[in-house]
Amino acid sequence: MIPLDQVLVFSGILFALGVYGVLTRRNAIAILMSVELMLTAVNTNFIAFGVFHRPSLAVGLVFAVFVITVAAAEVGLALAIILRIYRQRTTANVDEVDILKW
Amino acid sequence: MVGMNAAWLLPAIPAGAFALLLLVRNFLPRKGDWVAIGAVTASFVLFFFVLHDLMTRLGPNFHGVSTGFTWLKIDNFVLRVGFFTDPIAIVMLAAVLVVSLMVHVYSTGYMHGDSRYGWFFTVLALFTAAMSTLVLADNLLLLYVAWELVGICSFLLIGFWWERQSAAEAAKKAFVTTRVGDVGLLIGVILLWKKVGTFDIQTVLHAATSGQIGHTYLTVALLFMLLGAMGKSAQFPFHVWLPDAMEGPTPVSALIHAATMVVAGIYLLARMLPAYMVITGLGTLIMVIGMITAIGAAVIACAQTDIKRIIAYSTLSNLGFMFVAMGAHALTGGMFHLLTHAFFKALLFLGAGSVIHAVETQEVGDLGGLWRKMPITMGTFVIACLANAGLPVFSGFFSKDLVLEGVMHGNTPYYVALLAWVFLSGIYTARLFMLTFFGPSRDHHRYEHAHESPPNMTLPLVVLAVLTLLAGWLALDSVGRALGFPGGVGEFVFVHEPEAYRFSFTVAFAATSAGLLGVLATMYLYWGGGPERARRFADYSPDVYALIRNKFYVDELYQAGINYGVLGLSHAVAWFDRYVVNDTGVNGTAQLTGWLGYRLKFLQNGKLPTYALAMIVGVLVMAIVALSMHS
Amino acid sequence: MSVEQWVFYVLAAIAVGGAAVTVFARDIVRAALGLIVALLMTAGVFVLLSAEVIGLVQLLVYGGAVAILILFALMITRAREVTYRLDGPQKPLALLAGATLAAAIGVAVVGTVFPTNTDHINPVGFVEMSTALFQTYAVPFEVASLVLLVALVGAIIIARQEERQ
Repeated sequence: MIPLDQVLVFSGILFALGVYGVLTRRNAIAILMSVELMLTAVNTNFIAFGVFHRPSLAVGLVFAVFVITVAAAEVGLALAIILRIYRQRTTANVDEVDILKW
Repeated sequence: MVGMNAAWLLPAIPAGAFALLLLVRNFLPRKGDWVAIGAVTASFVLFFFVLHDLMTRLGPNFHGVSTGFTWLKIDNFVLRVGFFTDPIAIVMLAAVLVVSLMVHVYSTGYMHGDSRYGWFFTVLALFTAAMSTLVLADNLLLLYVAWELVGICSFLLIGFWWERQSAAEAAKKAFVTTRVGDVGLLIGVILLWKKVGTFDIQTVLHAATSGQIGHTYLTVALLFMLLGAMGKSAQFPFHVWLPDAMEGPTPVSALIHAATMVVAGIYLLARMLPAYMVITGLGTLIMVIGMITAIGAAVIACAQTDIKRIIAYSTLSNLGFMFVAMGAHALTGGMFHLLTHAFFKALLFLGAGSVIHAVETQEVGDLGGLWRKMPITMGTFVIACLANAGLPVFSGFFSKDLVLEGVMHGNTPYYVALLAWVFLSGIYTARLFMLTFFGPSRDHHRYEHAHESPPNMTLPLVVLAVLTLLAGWLALDSVGRALGFPGGVGEFVFVHEPEAYRFSFTVAFAATSAGLLGVLATMYLYWGGGPERARRFADYSPDVYALIRNKFYVDELYQAGINYGVLGLSHAVAWFDRYVVNDTGVNGTAQLTGWLGYRLKFLQNGKLPTYALAMIVGVLVMAIVALSMHS
Repeated sequence: MSVEQWVFYVLAAIAVGGAAVTVFARDIVRAALGLIVALLMTAGVFVLLSAEVIGLVQLLVYGGAVAILILFALMITRAREVTYRLDGPQKPLALLAGATLAAAIGVAVVGTVFPTNTDHINPVGFVEMSTALFQTYAVPFEVASLVLLVALVGAIIIARQEERQ
């Protein structure tokens, strides 16, 4: 049997790596990939609590389904936006997209 | 039958006239002066009904009748607009209404053609209403309201010709000076109310005399009230505003600054006299203040050259005299002198106004010999002067003797000083009429153009002259009884027990001699060759003359106090305001905010990773705080 | 130690390795491949946790659709042809933040006493999960599908608008 806290530590490591990626990457797509990592980590937590804690309804799993759905939508939209930015400014580097300053 | 319960109409009618004039005076024929005159006449007629009713009710247990209505009611606290009619109020009302009516009539001539003719009568109506309210008020708060209202009227009328710098300054000076006293009155009223729980004057007096108020507390409250009385009646430290108030039109000087408003302070003392009699030292204090004012003003009056200012200092002097009377608890004499003084001093001012109207100057040095041109003015003016000097037959004689008799008992030094005061009064009044009407004319151009005033101005003069001649006889028991009074004025106005008139030959002789001596000596100085002899007299001691001429430099002293004290403090405050409050406090905050904003805006670098980092740092801080709190 | 646990450790190790490649790799395509590995291994973990349906969905959506989308995006934006480094200037700070976060999560996990069991799984049945998803949460489910639809339309519009000019 897998203990709950080990699963949580695993998801925590994934999440921390995702955060690091979001903070350090310059390419928008790389940032998006890091966000996906974070979402997956969160999903792992939902499922772990869902099966260990076991509420009367399968809330944890249902939530995971919704998270995956929304994440898919988000990836689609984000990539569309990145494409558009790339077409306009010929770059996907977030450091160069800073017209919203001052 | 219209009686004392209609007393509230006395102020109400002029108040209505004021409201009417305020709104539509420019659409009325003659700018509505007849509205004001009609209102005052109506009040005047009504006054006799009230007086008649009062006399039928007079008796040993009669103190006065209070009528009115509730103004506002908060819990148990009831504030009334109440009118209290008693002999003291009646005496004062007589002075107010007679002089007011005369001044109204006189003003139709004196103010004729003035650009703000209608406004003048509007304010006069308001003043009459406010002054009647002040006299009749049965509670201290209403009295205070009326007190401030007459102050406002005084301010408006002193500054009536506000285009003149000096008039505007004088109005401001009068307002500020009396305000100092008014604040004192307000504090006194509040103090009494706090202790007694009501503003009703009779209840307050009862509480004071029955010992419900502690002596120290009562003393403090009464001292504050005295401050108010001193401000309004221009007593010694506050006296400076009254001479400057002569910048107003002369009828105003006659009504407000001689006959009625300035005696409000004395009236207040008379009203509260039972309370003042509880505290022994206060009487002496009032007497000292009054004595300083009376003698000082009389001395100054001897060296002034402006006809109105001479009369103004004479007024000051008489006010001080009345203060002495109140301090000596000589209520009868004080109130009687208030009445007679109202008549003869108003007459003096109106006579002076008639002269000014004719020659268009106020400098007595430019007058002289006018008796040929203005016989009516001269006759009435001299009557008023002799009454002011307190010579027999004239009304001033009787009232002054009543006061002197009241003061004589146990206050010998004050009595002697008052005799000196009578002597001084003789000097300045004789000098006044000698310079104005007799001797050679010193300005021929003005003399040629001088003329007797029109009837609407001389009629009030004659009426007031008759009153000046006759009013004094009211002191006699037989005269009083013949008119329906219980006796002389002493049996009408008194503190505890009615007193029959007692003629004291000693007092009358001493006072008359002093007055006559002053008059004759001055007449000698000015007879014939004009003021040369008097000038030589003044040259004996130029320093003393300059001192008196410059009113003992009190104005200069106050100015210096303002220049160095008030302005110095103002500079300090202004510096503090400019550099500390404004530059550091207000601008400093703004500049700091601006500077911070300019610096901090660079945090908004538009770069996504920076924002993400900031967000994560925030989350981390919160997480760590939460964790550390949890464990 | 049971077999399940061993399998979990192996899967978790590979997933963490893939994630590390995702965030540390200098080549962005390699990073994308690392992400795919991490996501697939996580799907395995889901199956281990007896949530087979979610595991399958993860496999399909991430391992299939998202991975391909990302690779396409990389291709279209010519992500490999750029000259600048993939990591930004705040790398040390990011490292610190990540490490702190990991430590905080670790502390939280270790320090927390869970009110329920922590060592054995109560599998959620297929029927039970379907009932929850399509009956109890039917409306949120439909809304989620709408969100997907709108995102799809939005993505198309945003991505192609420029061709008009």
